[in-house]
Amino acid sequence: MQTIPIPHVDPLPLPGPVWLFTALLLVVFTLHVVAMNSALGGGIWTLWNYLRGRNSEHPYSRRLANELARMLPTFLAFTVTLGVAALLFVQVLYGNFLYTSSILIGSLWLAVIPLVMVAYYGFYYFSYTAEKGKGPGGCVLALSVCVLLGIAFIFVNNMTLMLSPGRWLAMYRAHPNGWNLNLGDHSLIPRYLHIVNGAIALFSAILAQLGMRKMKTDAQYGRWIVQRSALVFAGCTGLQFLLGMWLLLAIPREIAMVLLRDPLAGAVFGVALIAVISAMLLILIGSLAEKPSPLVHAGFAMSLVTLFLMVCLRYLLRVAYLKPYVNLGALAVRPQTGVIVIFLLLFVGGLATVGYMLWLVAKSKKAHVTVNATF
Amino acid sequence: MNYPHWQLAIPGGMLIALVAVLHVFVSHFAVGGGFFLVVTENLARRQKDAALLDYCRRHSKFFALLTLVFGAISGVGIWFTIGLVSPEATSSLIHTFVWAWAIEWVFFFVEIAAAIIYANTWESLSAGDHQIVGWIYFVAAWMSLFVINGILTFMLTPGRWIETQNFWDGLFNPTFLPSLVARTAVSVILAGIFGYITLPKQEGREKVARWAALWMMVGALVLPLSLWWYFAKIPRFSQLYLNGVLTGVRHAVRGGVGFTLLALVVALVCGVWKPRWMRAPVVAVLVICGLGMIGAGEYLREFVRKPWVINQVIYANDLRAAQVEPLQTGGVSHSANFLLTDDTSGLEYGKNLFQLQCASCHAAGGYRGMKRRVDGWDADFAADILQHIHMLRGTMPPYAGDENDRKALGQYLASLNPEWKFTITDENRLEIGEKVFASRCGHCHTVNGNFRPLRGAFEKQTPSQVQEMFPVLSGMSSNMPMFNAPEDQAQALAFYISHEANKPMAQKQAPADMPTGSTHSRLMRPVHPRQEVR
Repeated sequence: MQTIPIPHVDPLPLPGPVWLFTALLLVVFTLHVVAMNSALGGGIWTLWNYLRGRNSEHPYSRRLANELARMLPTFLAFTVTLGVAALLFVQVLYGNFLYTSSILIGSLWLAVIPLVMVAYYGFYYFSYTAEKGKGPGGCVLALSVCVLLGIAFIFVNNMTLMLSPGRWLAMYRAHPNGWNLNLGDHSLIPRYLHIVNGAIALFSAILAQLGMRKMKTDAQYGRWIVQRSALVFAGCTGLQFLLGMWLLLAIPREIAMVLLRDPLAGAVFGVALIAVISAMLLILIGSLAEKPSPLVHAGFAMSLVTLFLMVCLRYLLRVAYLKPYVNLGALAVRPQTGVIVIFLLLFVGGLATVGYMLWLVAKSKKAHVTVNATF
Repeated sequence: MNYPHWQLAIPGGMLIALVAVLHVFVSHFAVGGGFFLVVTENLARRQKDAALLDYCRRHSKFFALLTLVFGAISGVGIWFTIGLVSPEATSSLIHTFVWAWAIEWVFFFVEIAAAIIYANTWESLSAGDHQIVGWIYFVAAWMSLFVINGILTFMLTPGRWIETQNFWDGLFNPTFLPSLVARTAVSVILAGIFGYITLPKQEGREKVARWAALWMMVGALVLPLSLWWYFAKIPRFSQLYLNGVLTGVRHAVRGGVGFTLLALVVALVCGVWKPRWMRAPVVAVLVICGLGMIGAGEYLREFVRKPWVINQVIYANDLRAAQVEPLQTGGVSHSANFLLTDDTSGLEYGKNLFQLQCASCHAAGGYRGMKRRVDGWDADFAADILQHIHMLRGTMPPYAGDENDRKALGQYLASLNPEWKFTITDENRLEIGEKVFASRCGHCHTVNGNFRPLRGAFEKQTPSQVQEMFPVLSGMSSNMPMFNAPEDQAQALAFYISHEANKPMAQKQAPADMPTGSTHSRLMRPVHPRQEVR
């Protein structure tokens, strides 16, 4: 039997403790998923409403598509920005796995870059042309959404392949030019569907918040958004249970058992189940009333909690997969303490700066300042 | 060896260069352009110039579309590309500088948020607040450059980090400051160049044209000084590359200077003197000049580091310096994780070794192609010369493999061309001799030139006397490969060398140092800096 080739870990020690990299990875990845869900789920929502809104009987759909169109480029900007950070931290911990799987699907992996640009420029194009309702805007948006779905598929391929060193050598020998997909992995499709469906679900919860805000200026329109998004959220979350079960069954039995026997994973899973059920109930109950109540906000908060727990579970699944091949606890560590402190201070400072700029924007909106090219 | 090699139609290094040049072009504009925008906005508001302010607004939209999308995503593209082509080096950089990247990410995050807000709040934010956002953008963008500059310069001049492995020693390395100043100057030049893209058609046209030209001039004043400072701080072997020994480097230096000067002349003529001439084709010339300037700069920055990707740590073919000796004793097949074949004796294995050790810089054909370089080599000669590969040029890393590996790779290299068959006559003897010389000797020697000249050894020798020396050459120096050319080629070669060595020479040229990036090639004999090496 041929041994499984795993690249050696880097001879340099880790420049910080494993727990810190793990914590940062979990936090920034969760934020990345929120942004990604906004870009992908938001793109799907926009496309659907744009198509529906072409019929004059659905003016709200048209209006919603126009409003979402302006946000899509920003959603994608932060998807990339936060994704970069997640990629940075995962490389420190699992670089030898991630680089290898990336090389095995190298051509597709690199294709992500031009594809993101296409989707991004498509979003910008749509945001500039949506209100006119003419031209190829709808087709461009559909292309952007399809491209994002394709990028998600490439990512799921890489993220599953990095967990399966046993498949690497045969795959490399079959196509050393990087034109591989991890299609032999039974968990690939359910995992992909779980992520795409989850994106629609989470963005629906986000949209419900937008609807609650809109109710302050246009009650009927706001209620329409809240109720529609709550229904989609509930439907997608229900579907997410089925997809989740499919995913669990598709994972190799021995790895699923490691996960199920791990008390931490069990606890995370249990709390996530409670959180998601409460999110669904809160958003549904909150939205169905004649005047949607703040329960919708609570439901959204619970869906964020669920998301974070699912991200943790995903991480624990990775640990279970890679248990035979890596022991992070055994890696040499030489923390660059001074730099870590500077990073954390700058991180807080950076968030504060962004907060300050958003405050400037909010302040100007409140004051209705119109400079309009005056001095 | 550690990672699988991603097989590409072009050398991996070329792919990195392609992505990097485009990214650097736009990302430096992202720094300088941000500065340009906020300063110009301030000027417009102080002078109450509505046309100039309107220009700023339009320019900011273009700026956001280019830098937020292409600039930011191509930056991620570099990361993807280096991870695919040089995973070992990427891993090493990540382990050294993950916190620097994390800090850079914070600035990047602020930069993106500020750019979006700045471009979209011209009508809603007050003049003061809008400029605050602009300044926040610029500071974040420049700080992002500040940090990345440390990592990039570390790769050529790791400085004291080699002994201490201390983060700060690596980041604030000997070329950190000059490179930072040079990059800032380039950013300012690019701000001027890109400033022309949204030039107003009517009102304000002349003012903006002259204003953008001024930015280019200021950047161009600082750039040569900072490059001179940078040159003084780079390693000796890198300085020698830049002295014009190598053809590619010479072209890049001339190209970089030429593009920059052309851009300045165009800016002076069509920006300052006759702004109405600054039409789309002229702007296109400026943009191409800017791209050429960046392309030349990046090419040189990468080239002067050869044979290293991280000086003294990892070679350009992603092989750690520390791995070379174990591979020379133990062989590649015992260490490589991802070989394409289990048969470690045949041509397929040789091809695989070529991919593992050579394909980051070379392909079989095309740019830096091996086909023309190894024309005339047989498998035995190729296998033997591989031992001395780092002696050919300072740009080559040592070959890391055992005898079996060399034989297999030699077999592959020999298979790239058909075997030479000559009918040598009195008429073609000299020509064929020259061809054999280029194939067997010309990689390391000239006869009358200054690159390890042979004239001294063969002057006043007849062809038969020259030929008598061939079999003993490898015994005279451990740096010489064996000589095994067929008899007729040996005769033609001897005839050529004798003919050339006995030609009258006009003037003897003074020798100079040869670049020796590899620590293994410090034994190289001096050559003249003007000696052309192809």
